[in-house]
Amino acid sequence: MAYARLAKENMVPVRILEGQKTQISRTMHSMEYDPVHDELVVNSPLTQSILTFKGGSGGEEPPVRVISGPKTQIQGTDYDGNDKMAMDTVNGEIYIGVATSGGPGKGVVLVFDRTANGDVAPKRILGGPNTKFAFPTPKGQGFPHMAVDPVRDLLIVSSRGALLIFDRTASGDATPKAVIAGPKTLLGGGGGLVKVNPENGMVVSSCAQGSICAWNINEPGDVAPRFKIPVEKITGINFSGPTLNPMYKEVIVTSSSRNRIATFYWPEIFDKP
Amino acid sequence: MRIGRNSRRRAILAGVVVIATGTFCWTAVQRLQWETTSELSAGSARLVSVEQLPDSEFCASGEATSAIATLSREFQDNNLFTALGETAVHAEDTVEVTRPPVRMIRDTYPIYSSIAVDPIRDEVVLQDTNQFGIKVFNRLDNTPPNVDATKPKRVIEGPDTKNEYNNGLYIDPKNGETYNLAMDTADAIFTFRAGAEGNTEPMRILNIPHRGFQIAVDEEKQEVYSTNQYPPRLLVFRKGASGNEKPLRVIEGTHTGLADVHGVAVDVQRKLIFVGNWGNYSNYKVAGSGKFLPPSITVYPLDANGDAAPLRTIQGPKTTLDWMGAFSLDPETGNLWVANDVGNSVLVFRGTDNGDVAPIKVLKGDKTGLDHPAGISIDTKNKEVWVSNMGNSSATCYSLTANGNATPARKIRSAPLGWKSLKFGKPQVVAYDSKREEYLVPN
Repeated sequence: MAYARLAKENMVPVRILEGQKTQISRTMHSMEYDPVHDELVVNSPLTQSILTFKGGSGGEEPPVRVISGPKTQIQGTDYDGNDKMAMDTVNGEIYIGVATSGGPGKGVVLVFDRTANGDVAPKRILGGPNTKFAFPTPKGQGFPHMAVDPVRDLLIVSSRGALLIFDRTASGDATPKAVIAGPKTLLGGGGGLVKVNPENGMVVSSCAQGSICAWNINEPGDVAPRFKIPVEKITGINFSGPTLNPMYKEVIVTSSSRNRIATFYWPEIFDKP
Repeated sequence: MRIGRNSRRRAILAGVVVIATGTFCWTAVQRLQWETTSELSAGSARLVSVEQLPDSEFCASGEATSAIATLSREFQDNNLFTALGETAVHAEDTVEVTRPPVRMIRDTYPIYSSIAVDPIRDEVVLQDTNQFGIKVFNRLDNTPPNVDATKPKRVIEGPDTKNEYNNGLYIDPKNGETYNLAMDTADAIFTFRAGAEGNTEPMRILNIPHRGFQIAVDEEKQEVYSTNQYPPRLLVFRKGASGNEKPLRVIEGTHTGLADVHGVAVDVQRKLIFVGNWGNYSNYKVAGSGKFLPPSITVYPLDANGDAAPLRTIQGPKTTLDWMGAFSLDPETGNLWVANDVGNSVLVFRGTDNGDVAPIKVLKGDKTGLDHPAGISIDTKNKEVWVSNMGNSSATCYSLTANGNATPARKIRSAPLGWKSLKFGKPQVVAYDSKREEYLVPN
């Protein structure tokens, strides 16, 4: 569903993409808009697939590309499927965390070219004990949120209370270049959605006590966040997200537990330090 | 990353420390500026502002995502990772920003998912998957056009009910107990006593696997059928089961034809089970096994178990199935009634149908009041069928003989006439379409 940026209470969606022909299912836990190519990318956990739609799609419009098939190596779990995906719109790559036959804790991150279509192999695979990946959990949860900082050429993987920072093109059993983790970071154990503002290197994700926190990517280690919005304290509702809107210096969060979308004006995280 | 040991690296380190010191000084000045216009909050966090900002547009740079290459060069020149290795540059404390949100999108009206009619107590029960409540109306309620909403006679709602994303409903005809399937977050079937009202705890909780959808009951055998979207399966529990009690049997496997399972109905007289499949399929144990199959209704014998092949499959373009929701079976005719959500229609199939068949009856059109119908319940006593509409916060009632663009016999609205729902359903993430200035929200 698409809502106008300035939509408020009881303002209906401006368009809806739905129905059998779209090939999407009710389970969607990641979605990315690619402003460079005006496309919408969403993963389909129930079919181990990644769907790309034209920007502005509506009604029962089918995807323009579908990454799906045995060569993709996309695999989920009984609980969450493969439900997290991210896009690097500058370098035209799609990232997806998947399970493997190795079982719990042996997940890997697959990287596809954004133009990939059909049954194609990933161009890179990142995973192994040195990566410190710890997904999926024995219950089949905990797939990582990811973000790419194209300025610093870094990949950030939010995995179980840690922000693991890799070279953007890291593959195989690579060691993280840096880690933001520890009690001072306020990062929780769940691995919240992560976004990065490449203009100033601020990494934004959910953190303890229902808050959204921002860390500087240049400050790895067990370091306190630079900024925090105590969303739950302000609104009384637990939120997830976030997504960044640099144009208007806004941070958008969702409440999957209470069916709401909130927008915060947060210029501090968009300003240069 | 390792800290350099040679003199060249030390020189770089010194240079970077200077840069870092400068950055900190600059930052300190900036923070000082903030503090002069705000007050300090408790603890080490700092309050930036508590002022309510106007809802109007905020000014912006207009070129927020440009100049990636320039920034990359700047980063290479000031790469703290390279210079400092494992030594972190710690922020001294956290600036806590306590501004309220500038905008909030939400639907303040109910979004009705499932429905059950209780002809014995003359009640219509609706699940509100937006505010997580169960709203009970008189069966003969009919909201006049000049009234915004009909007030329910009672509501089961509140934190003690544990309701979240409730989506499957059944009223026990004998004792009036309400069976309420809460999917995705609660993963349970909650049973409330007859006449329950307010913030009341369920009398019984049965934990079910993640992603349940609809329930149906075989009163003869005292069994509860519960669909599981993924992995695709149908679980059969003892009626009255609670806690972590295991199902009596499970229909699951590659021969079943189950794929993204939603609706279910049982025909006790003809010993049949009907299951709705959206067609999204994969075996989670096998990488790249995903398939997009056409939607289908698979039919099994009532005692099916394990990897049972369907007796028949209703599937194909003539069926017009499109993200079908709940099922309801007419025990007198054996016909299957389907809430066809995205098709904005109600489809009726013969219980004996097979293959690519058109429905024998279709309720659809501007007079029907249907808008994303997700729930359906047949009242054989009064020869009526009730439909819950996710798209307009209403329930519409039709004669069992209605067909085509039929006007509802009665309509219960919980929002003003003409209202269109926001259609929220567990928005877990949001993306921003910068070209159209739109929020993209998966449901």
